[in-house]
Amino acid sequence: MNPRILAVGLGAALALMVAQPGAVAQSPSTPVPMKPDLNGVWQVLNTANYDLEPHAARAAMALREGPHGPVPAREVLALGAVGAVPGGPGVVVGAMIPYTAQGRARQRDNQQHWLARDPEIRCYLPGVPRATYMPYPFQIFQSDSALLFVYEYAGATRNILFNDPGPPPVDSWMGQSVGRWENGSLVITVTGQNDSSWLDRSGNHHSDQLQVVERYTPSGPNTLRYEATLTDPQVYERPWTISMTLYRRIGADARLNQFKCIEFVEELMLGHLRKVPLK
Amino acid sequence: MKRCGFFVLLALAGIQGIACAQSGAAPASLPSGYKVGRTAFGDPDLQGLWTNASITTLERPAGLNSLVLSPQVAGQIEARFAGRREADQRATDPSLGAPATGDDVRGYNSFWIDLGSRLAVIGGEIRASWIVDPSSGKVPYSMQGRQALRAAAQTSFDGPETRPIGERCIIGYGSTSGPPMLNVLYNNHYQIVQSPGHVVIVVEMNHDARIIRLGGERLPATQSQWLGDSIGRFEGDTLVVETSHLHPGQSFMADVRHYLYVPPTARVVERFTRVAADEILYEFSVSDDRAYTQTWRGEMPFRAAKGPMFEYACHEGNHSLTNILKGARHAERSR
Repeated sequence: MNPRILAVGLGAALALMVAQPGAVAQSPSTPVPMKPDLNGVWQVLNTANYDLEPHAARAAMALREGPHGPVPAREVLALGAVGAVPGGPGVVVGAMIPYTAQGRARQRDNQQHWLARDPEIRCYLPGVPRATYMPYPFQIFQSDSALLFVYEYAGATRNILFNDPGPPPVDSWMGQSVGRWENGSLVITVTGQNDSSWLDRSGNHHSDQLQVVERYTPSGPNTLRYEATLTDPQVYERPWTISMTLYRRIGADARLNQFKCIEFVEELMLGHLRKVPLK
Repeated sequence: MKRCGFFVLLALAGIQGIACAQSGAAPASLPSGYKVGRTAFGDPDLQGLWTNASITTLERPAGLNSLVLSPQVAGQIEARFAGRREADQRATDPSLGAPATGDDVRGYNSFWIDLGSRLAVIGGEIRASWIVDPSSGKVPYSMQGRQALRAAAQTSFDGPETRPIGERCIIGYGSTSGPPMLNVLYNNHYQIVQSPGHVVIVVEMNHDARIIRLGGERLPATQSQWLGDSIGRFEGDTLVVETSHLHPGQSFMADVRHYLYVPPTARVVERFTRVAADEILYEFSVSDDRAYTQTWRGEMPFRAAKGPMFEYACHEGNHSLTNILKGARHAERSR
C-alpha cells in the first residue's frame, strides 16, 4: 500500500462521504450515507455455526445409534446437555443449500466424521463466511482509508483491499477480500480460499473455487444485515445466499477477548507424542 | 523441520547457558519539515503497510564500538551479508547425498529468509543496533535478570508446552509482535489501521492483531494476555503506547540474531512518529526493577512496504512440532 494515498486532501474529500462515529441510525427519511460507519464489536445471535440449514435440537454433534434412536457418541458423552445442539430456523435463503448430489453426499459424510474433520476442533482459521457467525464476536476498525476485521476466534484477521490487486497469488485460509461501497452497503468479494475450511459444524463445505460476495448493511443503530452469496460450481448447483442479523455489543461487552485456541488443542493433537502421555 | 530448526541452532550456540495533544490538533511540523496528515476523526495518520526488516540487530554485534557506523564500515558489513546471501542462493549439489544422521541440515535456505539487506538509517546515522541506551548497545540485565533469562530459555522435547512459543505457533518468535516489536528472519510486515478510539497493528507473523485502545482502564491483572495490555494516547504527532501484564509465556523471545528476556512485570513504552510519508520512527523503552539495572531504550525505523500482506497460517501447517516430538520419541526408543 502506498501511504501517499493517505494525503490530506484526499483524506478530507473521503471524509465528507463517511458517516461520523456513532451516526448509524437511519430513519426512512434519512439519506443513506455512501460509507456507513461500521466500527464496533459485532456478533450473531443464532445457531448458524451449528448448522446453516433448518435443524431441530439434537443430543450432540457426534451421534451413534442407540436402541431407540441416536444418542451421543462415546467421545462426547461426558458433556451431557452442554454438548447438545440447539435447534434453529436456518439462515439459508430458500432453506436448503443447493448441493450437487456429490456435494450433498460429501456433507453427510463430513457430518458423520465431524470429530475428525471439522477444522474448528483443531483451532484452524475459519474462512469466510464462517468467521462471521461463529459464537465469538469480531470487531470492525474503519477509517476513511482502511477497514479491518479482527475476529476473536483464533485471532483471525482480514484486511479489506479497496484497490483490487488482481487474483491472489496462492490460496489461503481467509482468502483475499476486495471491498467496495454500494448504496450504503459494504460489499466484499472473497476469493482465493483453500478448500480446507468448513461452513459450519454440520459438514457443510466448499471447494477452492468458492467465491463469496458479502454485503454488510446497517439496519438500525445497533444492527447490521449480513448477506453472503456463495458461488462454487464444483459443489453447488447454483449460487445461494445466507442472511442474518449482526448485533452490536455495547458497554463492557464491546471488547474482544483473546481466544488463541492453539494451546487449547495441543493435548488433542500432540498429547500422544508426550514423553509421558497422560493417562 | 524447516520452520523450527533454528531454535535448536540457538541452543547449540550457547543460549541455553545463557500531555497529550487532542484529536483534531493541527499537524505539527517535524524537524524534517514533514507534516503528519490526519484521519477523518482527527488523529495523526499512521496507517499503511510497514516493515522493520533490516540487518541491524537489537544488540550491537561484537567488534563494533559505537552506535553509529561510518559509511565505510557499514559498506563492509552489508557486502559481507550480501556475499553470504549469494552463497546461500546457490543450487544444492544433487550428488551430495543425504546428510549424516544427526547433522544439522539447516533450518532455512535463502528462499525463506527476508530480513532485508541494509543497515538501518535514523536521522542520517547508520545504526549498529536498535538499543541506543545504555551506550554499550546491550540489554542491561541484572544478575537476577540473567538467571531468569537462562531459566526462561530452557526447553525440552518432553511435550508441546516445553517447546519455544514460536515453534508452537502461538505467537511469532523473536518478539516480532512485541512489545517491543523486533525484526526477525522473515515476515517483518505490520499493517496499521486506525479507527476512533483505537489503533490496530496486525503483525504478519501469526496474524496477531495488537488492539491498542486510546485511553481507558487497564485490564485486571488476572486477565493477562498475549502481547500484553496496551493503552495508547497521542502526544502531538506521536502515538505513545504503554503496555503491561505481558503473558508469562512470552518472557523469553529468540530469533537467530537476538534473544531477549522481558518479564511479565515489565513496562514497555512505545512511541510511533511518522517522520515522512514512507517512514515511522519507532522508539521503545523497557523497564523492570528486578530484571534490568536501568531502563533501556531503542530506536528503529519502520519503512513503507508494498502490499498486500499475505496470510501467515502457522498452526494450520505446523507439521514441524509434530515431527520434532515424534523425532524425540524415536530417539528415545533408539537409545
